Order: sequence, then C-alpha cells, then structure tokens
Amino acid sequence: MNIIFGLIVILSITILIFVNPESVLSAFISGGQKAFDLSIKLVVIYTVWLGVFSIMEQTGLDKKIAKLLKPVNKLLFGNLPDSANEYMSLNISANILGMSGGTTPFGIKSIEELDKYPNTEYAVCMFFILNATSVQLIPSSILALRSQMGSLYSSSVILPTILATLLSSIIGILLCKIFIKRR
Amino acid sequence: MFKYFIPVLFLLIFIYGVIKKVKPYDAFTSGAKSAIPFTVSIFPYLASIFVLTELFEISGLSNALTNLLSPFFNFLGIPDELIKLVLIKPFSGSGALAIVSDIYTKFGVDSYLSRCASVIYGSSETVFYIAAVYFAKSKKHNLLKPIIISLIASFFSCVFACFICNIL
Repeated sequence: MNIIFGLIVILSITILIFVNPESVLSAFISGGQKAFDLSIKLVVIYTVWLGVFSIMEQTGLDKKIAKLLKPVNKLLFGNLPDSANEYMSLNISANILGMSGGTTPFGIKSIEELDKYPNTEYAVCMFFILNATSVQLIPSSILALRSQMGSLYSSSVILPTILATLLSSIIGILLCKIFIKRR
Repeated sequence: MFKYFIPVLFLLIFIYGVIKKVKPYDAFTSGAKSAIPFTVSIFPYLASIFVLTELFEISGLSNALTNLLSPFFNFLGIPDELIKLVLIKPFSGSGALAIVSDIYTKFGVDSYLSRCASVIYGSSETVFYIAAVYFAKSKKHNLLKPIIISLIASFFSCVFACFICNIL
C-alpha cells in the first residue's frame, strides 16, 4: 500500500502543480469529506450487523455455520485455528449472500485471528483474494439502481454477474495456488 | 424472492435466540456498541483511499491511463465507454456506481453497454479499499502479490462480462 499510495500521490501532485495548483488541497479535503460521509453510513450498517451477529454468537449459531463450512475452508486455506475459521466462515457466507457492510467486521477479525498464529501467510493471502474477487449471488445495489432507472429487465444481469464473479474467484484461487507458497 | 431473504434471516436468528434463552435486547446492544469504535478505527484508511481516488481523478491520471489502455481494452472486447469503469472500480465503489448511473442515463438502462456496466460493477470488488480496510490493524503483510492477483482476476471477469452480455 505504501508504494502505491506514495507513487500515485507524488505523481498526481507533480502534475497538478503545473496544471491546477489550487486543486491539490481541495482534493485532499474532498477525499476526507467523502470518507467521512461514507463512515456515517457505515457506522449505521455496522451497528445493525454487529447487533444481529452478537445474537448469533450468544446462541452458538456462528459455530454451527463454521462447522458447516470447515471442509471447504480446509480445502482453500489449509488447516485453520478454530477461532479464525469461525470469523472467516461468517465473512464468506456474508459475501455470498451479498450483505455488503456485513462482511467487513468479520473480515478484519479473521485477519487479526490469523495473525496470532504462525505460518498463516498463505491463508491470509487466499482470504484476501477471495474477498477481493467476491463470490456474490445477489448484486443488490445494481438491481436497485436498475429498477429505479426504469429497466424492464432489471434481473437480466443476475446470471451474467454470477458467472463473471465465479470466474474471477476461480482465476484468483488458481493464481494464488500457483504464485503464493504454502508453508 | 430476494426481498424476503434478509427479513426471514433476521426473523430466524431472533427466534433461535429466544429458543436458546438469549436476552435479545442485551445481546443486540452489546454487539451494536462496538460499531462506533470499529468505524473510527477504519476511518483513517478510508480517508487515505478516498484522497488517492480524488487525486487520481483530478490530476488527469485516470484519463491518461484510460487513453493509454484503450487499444488494449478494445482488443479484448471492452468498449471505450466502459474503460473508466473498469479502472475506477478497484479504488472506489461509489465512484464506479456514479459512472454506471451515467451510462444508464446516456445509453438507456437496457442497452448492451448498460447491461455490461451492471455486470462489471456487480462482479468486481473494490480491491484497494478491501486491502486498506481489512489490513487496518495488521501491518506485517506484503500485499503486493495478492493485490496484483485480485486485479488480474477482476480484469478477466470484466472481459468476460463484455463477452457474455453479447450472447445473453
């Protein structure tokens, strides 16, 4: 991240000094403003999901989901510590069901858990790639926008989207298996 | 069909909670409590990504990259109108959604370009955003390889999207 951030920031400011020096500070501020606006929306979404999740946690439902997904996880990530397996299972189910916003808290907790154990670098990479190529069954925000814009066939994009997202996940998994070493 | 999914899921969780003798009010509030500290902890990372996106856009780098890559993208079947979407999606979901809604207005929501844009939006993720936020509390990872792999995989799904929307 440091390389990418540094490179793009330095390049952009260099260009802007010649083209439009006044816009540099305002670009930084408007970036911060957008992050703030999004955070306000996110905090509400997280409140709901973390509240519901807390009920699942106290009933032990999260452990049941984790148990169900354990064979799949083992195939993808190798042997996992139980605590990490739990959060990762919840993150993956939330991803598949298209609960945007519900995925992030579990994602962060998964990586925190994985970090506590040695030799989990491969699992971390695979987990990141799975999230970054998200298997999503219901592209809810796009469907909402389409019907709002008066589409007659708003659901015509569901099947192509599922196929495309499956393809990206499969390619991601394969590339990870080839290029990242498992210890 | 899909609209029933979340309500039914919530209902089942609450009922299951009652069966298992969990206090629903106490449990919900104890989970919800952590939302604000959680959001505060990821805010700096969100801010950096948004600053990055802003600079990328305003400096003209994004347009320059679009022009530079257009022959290559066209060759793979991605039309000019969608190149910007493919490039912005890894950085910003809201930026990408703005482009999609632009395409809807310009070309009609059921046109080939619009369907294609929908599939590209729905099938790819905000890779840099995930990298920034998921690793907010964990500094020890070198993410270069996984980021490149994710970008390549997403790019394939974009090419595939333009292809399959021609058929279906």
